[in-house]
Amino acid sequence: MSFHGYVRPDGSVGTRNYVLVIPQGIIAKTICDFVPGTKTLITTDHGSGRTANDRETIARVLIGLGRNPNDASVILHAASPGVGYPELRAERLVDEIRAGGKRVEILDPAQDGGTYGAIVKGMQLARRMVYEASKLRREEVSDAHLCLGVKCGYSDTTSGIAGNPAVGYLFDKIVAAGGTAMFGETTEVIGAEQALARRAVNPAVAQAILDAVALREELAKATGLDIRTVNPVPSNIKGGLSSLEEKSLGAIHKAGTAPIRGVLKYAEPPAGKGLYFVDNWMGSLSIFAGYAAAGANLVLFQLGGGGVAGRTLLESCPSVVAPFLWATANPKTYRAATDSVDFYSGTVIEGTETPEEAGERFYRIVIDVASGTLTRSETVNYADPVEIYLQEPRF
Amino acid sequence: MPAKRALIMHPSDNVATAVEEIRAGDEVAVPVEGEVRTLTASDPIPFGFKIALQEIAAGATIVKYGETIGKAGQPIAKGALVHIHNLEGTRARGDLTRRADR
Repeated sequence: MSFHGYVRPDGSVGTRNYVLVIPQGIIAKTICDFVPGTKTLITTDHGSGRTANDRETIARVLIGLGRNPNDASVILHAASPGVGYPELRAERLVDEIRAGGKRVEILDPAQDGGTYGAIVKGMQLARRMVYEASKLRREEVSDAHLCLGVKCGYSDTTSGIAGNPAVGYLFDKIVAAGGTAMFGETTEVIGAEQALARRAVNPAVAQAILDAVALREELAKATGLDIRTVNPVPSNIKGGLSSLEEKSLGAIHKAGTAPIRGVLKYAEPPAGKGLYFVDNWMGSLSIFAGYAAAGANLVLFQLGGGGVAGRTLLESCPSVVAPFLWATANPKTYRAATDSVDFYSGTVIEGTETPEEAGERFYRIVIDVASGTLTRSETVNYADPVEIYLQEPRF
Repeated sequence: MPAKRALIMHPSDNVATAVEEIRAGDEVAVPVEGEVRTLTASDPIPFGFKIALQEIAAGATIVKYGETIGKAGQPIAKGALVHIHNLEGTRARGDLTRRADR
């Protein structure tokens, strides 16, 4: 099977065609407000007072978003005053983004007439760049160019019965076609890690999965808390989930059945095609931007929602340049927010569709979105800030 | 009145998930490997919540997806609701670790 996408100089394929302006700040925001077709990263995490490891994570996010195939080109401006760390220097970021072969323009307030000068120059550049980008045409390409990232959230028991299995079917199909799929949420693997480790392509990958889970479980125990006061979160418990293990065993169904090729850090691009486990955190403000930085050209949120009343609009979680799809198997969630849901698999519970039929329907929706059909949340102009997954103390 | 539906995820499960609202006293039908087992709910089982398919002794393993999802914190009768009041998670329990360390 195939979809229609934008073929980039490095051979990767975009499902969208944006001009990305980074890093965040008044220069990027003002340019993006002025020029349609642009995107920027909004985040509070800009590196100040952070350790080298955490600064490298921020750099990985910026570089990865710049190299994402959904960008036609990139404008990068010198970082805010006070953020002169080597990991985040503009020259370094530019070099690594340009290694992907796409056009990268630099704004430097010190040389471009200060903040005002850089904004004006950026507006002019961005207008030209979105115009040039609009001349690009989608081409028919193999599904092997799809790169998906998934999170399940507000999980309830419909997630494990129907919602996550539908994602698993989709993932199996994309991986079988030669594409790439990423899942993660290490806390929500506790209790299901052996099942995942058995699917690793080699013992080293199996051990990496077990190590990631063991570290997370040790950190949880060190709090002295009953994990159920933290996770499962209250909406999970209201939705019928009784323990972290039960949540985890349902959650891993979204990973399908393919072999697991590797364990990635947050925002780390996979080394090849296939299925990858990402040692990340479930936070919806965090995880999708991480997938986009790792190269995802489409992201999915599989929503339970059993314990969440009154959500009649599901706004996008921040994924910057990756289109964002909502899927649910909970009939109440679907009825409440029908015009926000891209894919509904409660049909499997209601008995009107088999899991395979629902999975096939999901696959066709993903292909349509990859080819340019808007996701429901792309019809809402709203973006929360990204919470970059930083794990070390700040000073 | 037709029986209410609940689903198991694996033949070795000792709990099933309600896929409609079940009241105390309702007959519940659970498909198990081509057959339909029936039991009577002794508690209300809301949509998405779990019903015990058999008597489960205190401390015994509660199984869903064919895997352990916790232990019974108290004896659980067949047909009873299984949730946080009678199911104890066993993983990542800092509260239990702390107690053992003391």
